[in-house]
Amino acid sequence: MSVPSRGLRLTVNADDRFLQVATSFVEKASLALGLDERAALDLTLASEEIFTYVCHKASPGALISLASRGGGYYVEVDFGFEAREFNMQAFNLTSRVARRADESLEETGLVIASRMVDRFHFSQDGRRLRITLVKERSYPAVEALPLPESKPLSMFAIREPDPEEVKLCVRLVLRDYPPQAIPFSFRSPGKIADMVSCGELRAAIAVDRGGSVGGGIVWRWRGSKLVQSFGPYLFAQTIESGVGKALVDACLTSIARTPAIGIISHSLASDLAAGFFEPLGTVTIRLKDGRVHENALYYRHLEEDLGLAVWSDPAIEPFLRREYERLAFAREIRTVRDDGEAAAYAVLSAGLDREAARATLHPIWWGRDSRETLAAHVNMLQKEGLPNIYFEMDIGRAWHCHFAPALMECGFEPRLLLPYAGEGDLVVFQHRGG
Amino acid sequence: MSDWALERLQPEYVKRFEPYVPNKPDPELMKLYGSSRLYRLNNNENPLGPPLAAQEVLRRFAPSRAAVYPSGDSFYMREKLAGRFDKHPEQFLVGNGANEVISFVMKAFCEPGDNIITADKTFAVYEWVADFSGIEARLVPLKDYTFDDQGLLDRVDERTKVVFVCNPNNPTGTYWSTDRLRRFLDAISERCVVVLDEAYFEFVEADDYPDGMRMFDEYPNLVVFRTFSKMYGLAGLRIGYLAGGRQLVDAIRRTCIVYSVNSLAQEAAFAAVEDREHVQRTREMVRKGKDYLLPELNRLGLSCVAHEGNFVMIQLPISDTLAYRKLMREGIMVRTMTGFRFPNFIRVTISRIEVMQAFVGALARVLHSQRGGATDR
Repeated sequence: MSVPSRGLRLTVNADDRFLQVATSFVEKASLALGLDERAALDLTLASEEIFTYVCHKASPGALISLASRGGGYYVEVDFGFEAREFNMQAFNLTSRVARRADESLEETGLVIASRMVDRFHFSQDGRRLRITLVKERSYPAVEALPLPESKPLSMFAIREPDPEEVKLCVRLVLRDYPPQAIPFSFRSPGKIADMVSCGELRAAIAVDRGGSVGGGIVWRWRGSKLVQSFGPYLFAQTIESGVGKALVDACLTSIARTPAIGIISHSLASDLAAGFFEPLGTVTIRLKDGRVHENALYYRHLEEDLGLAVWSDPAIEPFLRREYERLAFAREIRTVRDDGEAAAYAVLSAGLDREAARATLHPIWWGRDSRETLAAHVNMLQKEGLPNIYFEMDIGRAWHCHFAPALMECGFEPRLLLPYAGEGDLVVFQHRGG
Repeated sequence: MSDWALERLQPEYVKRFEPYVPNKPDPELMKLYGSSRLYRLNNNENPLGPPLAAQEVLRRFAPSRAAVYPSGDSFYMREKLAGRFDKHPEQFLVGNGANEVISFVMKAFCEPGDNIITADKTFAVYEWVADFSGIEARLVPLKDYTFDDQGLLDRVDERTKVVFVCNPNNPTGTYWSTDRLRRFLDAISERCVVVLDEAYFEFVEADDYPDGMRMFDEYPNLVVFRTFSKMYGLAGLRIGYLAGGRQLVDAIRRTCIVYSVNSLAQEAAFAAVEDREHVQRTREMVRKGKDYLLPELNRLGLSCVAHEGNFVMIQLPISDTLAYRKLMREGIMVRTMTGFRFPNFIRVTISRIEVMQAFVGALARVLHSQRGGATDR
């Protein structure tokens, strides 16, 4: 549940003649919403690429809506347009890359634009297509400041932190925890403070009467049904102290009567997890410097499971059955069959997070060339320096399962099962890399 | 209707809601969870069913009467309640379950900008109806599992219209004594309406437990809720009521939905209301069930919150929602408490001994499987 605070909107024809109107809108809006000139220029140039690309692919008379929003620590620009006006295949990131041997390796405007922003996402909601560019404000790198010595708290209370306490907590996390346990965004304490201030992140800390901080936890919405939490991070507190449990309690209590139906927990001590969460599995994190580590994720359902029918392909059915048995979710598994239906081409949407060196692919359309399309995406994303490649399959949608054999052939493997994270459950595949 | 039209037509506060998804019917759940039995220990229903007189009404109800509208304002039912409690029929409003009478009160007194006050860990419907109506719900933390009277008073301001007190509280079973309730009502004075939700009234045997129905003359701002869904075993027919001083009930009547209570419910409740023997039998079953269950829970190393009412809240060393799923595989349905803001607690309805034995056995197996060790059962 992101909380963009302010927004502006512009609708123009998908026509090159409106390019300057569009770029001026993005630039002025970005500056007004808090980006510095350098960041605003990057976002404007990226928007120019997207606008030009979309104009070239559009039918005459098509409209593009630009929406610019400020979320405190970032500015986001959405390009929205109707699918019926476009050839969907053009929105594969790879649509102009080596699809035919005699074609030049010209890159799409989508790829070029993605390099100028922090996050890029192409998605589809019914007939509505959406390209989102996110540029974050610049924050100074964390400085080595003297930090208070942490000590066990004899009495503590749980409360929301003020911005300075947020930054202190982040610095304590950076001091006390190994890099693999720390989210990338924690590298900028000011950014976390801004994320909390604008409501994108919620936070709770444990403090004693003297103001000493014994621990903290943050959480945020991931779509409309899932919450993602980081921590609790404990500073000189044992599990037995109850600080960690109280922080998890505070997080769970705050989302108990919201639409959230599940919470995914990161950076959680396994002995604390046992009382609250179920191990979901691990994903492999490949850092830009070449280091590799396994990141454990935990899950907790927040409601009584009503049971569900899901779709499957024989290629992933053993994984599904094992996970449903382990997590004790009641599911009726229905198998999809390939009966030779015609489907010309596959389309994937991509979400790119360059800071985390991560790309997440989602199916937009299934086609008989899905193996080639997947392979081309993997190839391109690896060349872009994004070694952490995921594919999210919503097994509440039967046609998503048609991708399963191609995924396996292209080096993906199912890693996580997220209950109710899509129309049905979501299977997260990860590319093995290499 | 296009997305755009929906976007424009729907109020912002309604867009934030997720539709409530009730449990699937029992046969569907049994099929999904692969269990051949299902003990419903989730809704605090009475396993003894309705009183015998009410059962007789249900048996004799002529199918042809389904074609005729019911009494729009539950005329005979209100007369019966008036006789039973020595009140005037106009002091009662009957609704389609207690949930509906909560809405009557909220609509009668609150408009956007107003607030209601209740506890953070209590029956969720006060908060839901407020949210759904665009009314602020101010939530006061329980103190020692009990409604915090001073905490509630501290939150009252000039826009506070209703304070909801669940007595005994669902799910903790704690209650305010008569003295404590009087002190609270005196302190509130007539600044706002006080709703005393007595859904579990008939289960309480303590001498100092107050009977709100006897306090209307002293406190004209007091409303009492009661239901036929719990003690009287008529949950499937949906009938509950509110009572209060005549002036107050007249004000609430303006927002009351008529014809919402069906004929069968009215007549079964009419027959049930005088059956004190049924109340005694149910109390006896609950007493025996708790006498069996509490030592067993202790033996499993589990702590619980067990006070008044036909339910017990149990703290688990694992996620309550995981326990729910594993117990469902064993054919036992309990209520998870994360939604009540008690993570890792489950609430269990007290039932017959053999059902309680089945529950304890299933719970022991679930905990054993989580610990991965041997159990003593």
